[in-house]
Amino acid sequence: MTAEVGLIHSRATPEPPGRVVLLGGGGFIGGRLRAALARARIPTLAPRRSELDLAGAEAATHLRELLRPGDAVVVLAALTPDKGRGLAPFMANLAMAAGVCIALEKVDPSHVVYFSSDAVYGAATGRLTEASCAEPNDLYGTMHLARELMIRASARGPVAVLRPTLVFGADDTHNSYGPNRLRRMAQKDGRIVLFGEGEEMRDHVEVGDVAALTLEVLRHRSAGTLNVASGRAISYAELARKVARLFERPIAITGTPRQTPITHRHFDVTALRRAFPTFAFTTLDDGLARAHREMLEQG
Amino acid sequence: MSGLRVGFAGLTHLGLVSAAAAADRGFDVVGFDADAAQVERLQRQELPVTEPGLPELLAKHRAAITFTTRAEELATCALAYVAPDVATDDLGQSDLVPLRALIATVAAVLPADTPLVVLSQIPPGFTRALEAPARRFCQVETLVIGDAVRRALSPERFIVGCADPAAALPAALGEYLAAFGCPILRMGYESAELAKIAINVCLVASISAANTLAELCERIGADWAEIVPALRLDRRIGAHAYLGPGLGIAGGNLERDLATVSRLADTHGTDAGVVRAWLANSRHRRDWALAQLHERVLEGRPDAVVALLGLSYKADTASTKNSPALALLAALTPFAVRAYDPVVATRAVSHEHLVQAASALEACAGADGLVIMTPWTEFRTLAPAAIAQRLRGRVVIDPYGVLATDACRAAGLEHVRLGSPLPAPRR
Repeated sequence: MTAEVGLIHSRATPEPPGRVVLLGGGGFIGGRLRAALARARIPTLAPRRSELDLAGAEAATHLRELLRPGDAVVVLAALTPDKGRGLAPFMANLAMAAGVCIALEKVDPSHVVYFSSDAVYGAATGRLTEASCAEPNDLYGTMHLARELMIRASARGPVAVLRPTLVFGADDTHNSYGPNRLRRMAQKDGRIVLFGEGEEMRDHVEVGDVAALTLEVLRHRSAGTLNVASGRAISYAELARKVARLFERPIAITGTPRQTPITHRHFDVTALRRAFPTFAFTTLDDGLARAHREMLEQG
Repeated sequence: MSGLRVGFAGLTHLGLVSAAAAADRGFDVVGFDADAAQVERLQRQELPVTEPGLPELLAKHRAAITFTTRAEELATCALAYVAPDVATDDLGQSDLVPLRALIATVAAVLPADTPLVVLSQIPPGFTRALEAPARRFCQVETLVIGDAVRRALSPERFIVGCADPAAALPAALGEYLAAFGCPILRMGYESAELAKIAINVCLVASISAANTLAELCERIGADWAEIVPALRLDRRIGAHAYLGPGLGIAGGNLERDLATVSRLADTHGTDAGVVRAWLANSRHRRDWALAQLHERVLEGRPDAVVALLGLSYKADTASTKNSPALALLAALTPFAVRAYDPVVATRAVSHEHLVQAASALEACAGADGLVIMTPWTEFRTLAPAAIAQRLRGRVVIDPYGVLATDACRAAGLEHVRLGSPLPAPRR
């Protein structure tokens, strides 16, 4: 029989970690996680780039000086695809991870949470689980898969690898094809332009849910791999209609000639439900409304 | 009485059913097991297994069956079957050590010309590797838990693995098998051993096809129950094909044979990709009820109470090996569960918030949703109106469709079953 996939909790009864060291706390997900940790009154060290430059030559030494045995370390720091998908960001990301790994080998953290990406599944379509073949088809996905292995090889304690799918929220600066870009198109041009007719099915998770789930992973000191997805995929066409309804004025939705074949991606979230049976995702409607409201507030 | 005495060593499910069937065909039977407590219980007609019709059959032929702890008594038999059920681990791997030990015990007391037939679940190569294989045979068991007695009394065929398939069977073995009036297929050891696995692999292929298409039905508005009759009328598929959708494969035997095929394929460099896909699909469908529960009852409700009917892996057995119900329970740890099974006691299950109900309807009392995980006949008699009266919620997750959808709807219940279009969650 196939083995169970997903997370195993080191703590059956959840308990806040003594201290969390958050690497990449200034980013889109990192910022929301930092706020969630603060609300949960969990002591957190989230060094800014001026305090710890993970791309610098002395990164490992500086991080080692910051870490204390027993810390829980969350690794979010990465050059995201909007900074480029070429060799340079790939090598820079690996170098960054190498520094983290050297520090992890020297200081025994109690727990490491590595933020990977569903890009490790490459062009896989259809239903995905944590047991699906991680076969990246670009350097970004390859980088995350390599970093997963590097971190696992370096940390002696439990390691949780989280592979989020498309994350949205008001603070998202990446402008990838998803709720935020569709909303920005609607706001700016009064219309949403889709690839093809927007047939592709995708799963979108609200950034607050990602932070909340990470908190649960930290409290349970979980180990293993978990896809961070809601389990509810929706077509881009339907997503566009949901976004359009957020605006008072009519928003036109138009298709474009298809350049690439239609692909779908659904997540089977059984492992997440087994790991955190009472965790509930924000509905897409509520998440979109919140992001819309916050973006309007931000101007 | 035919005058022929037949021995059976290893008195668990397979051995007991086979011994009872032999007695029913008029043979004098010796049932040997080294476990004295087990033999004492059998002598008192207390059975270690739940199998419809077996207690009655054994009681009927009590005088024809001698249960003993003395292996020497097998020496008086014209042939001896070695038939203990072979246990498997979580990976479907067989533990063959006890079987080998029992074969050695029996072989030591049997006269040299007495046939020894291995009836247990064995992998290809097992029989040939035994000492002095010329008087050893293997016979394919096709025990189906819950239907074992009927199948043992009226087998479809006998498959016998021999050192020389062209040679006639020993007279005693031939006479014994002929008493059942079905075809007898002789073949080499390895062919017979693989035939047993081949039967199960074909069943799994059928089950997996049904489960794959039933899931699609749920999403596109088709109903698998409407499609199945069309398939049964196709001769290439057959009237008795395994086409009922289920919660994956369970029980241990099918999993064992898939594990054996995978292992052999890996060893010999043949392709077993489809076997691994079946296992993955089985795991996926096992969790169907969990997904439905989350979508319809549990999400955002940490205080939800779940009524669970059925713990065994299928009806008419106390076995919970790889039971989907237990896998479901393991994923419901924070939730209160009120469970009932006609034969499996909940004390055998680890769950902090589990309450054993005295009846199916009592389990429903105050629950936010009902899940019927085993299609026990008893559950088919439940009135949806009575369920609705006791449930706090409206959701009935009934994978096997033991209740009628129309009757559930009439009682105001949201009825969800495998292979049928899924209603939109009301919440």
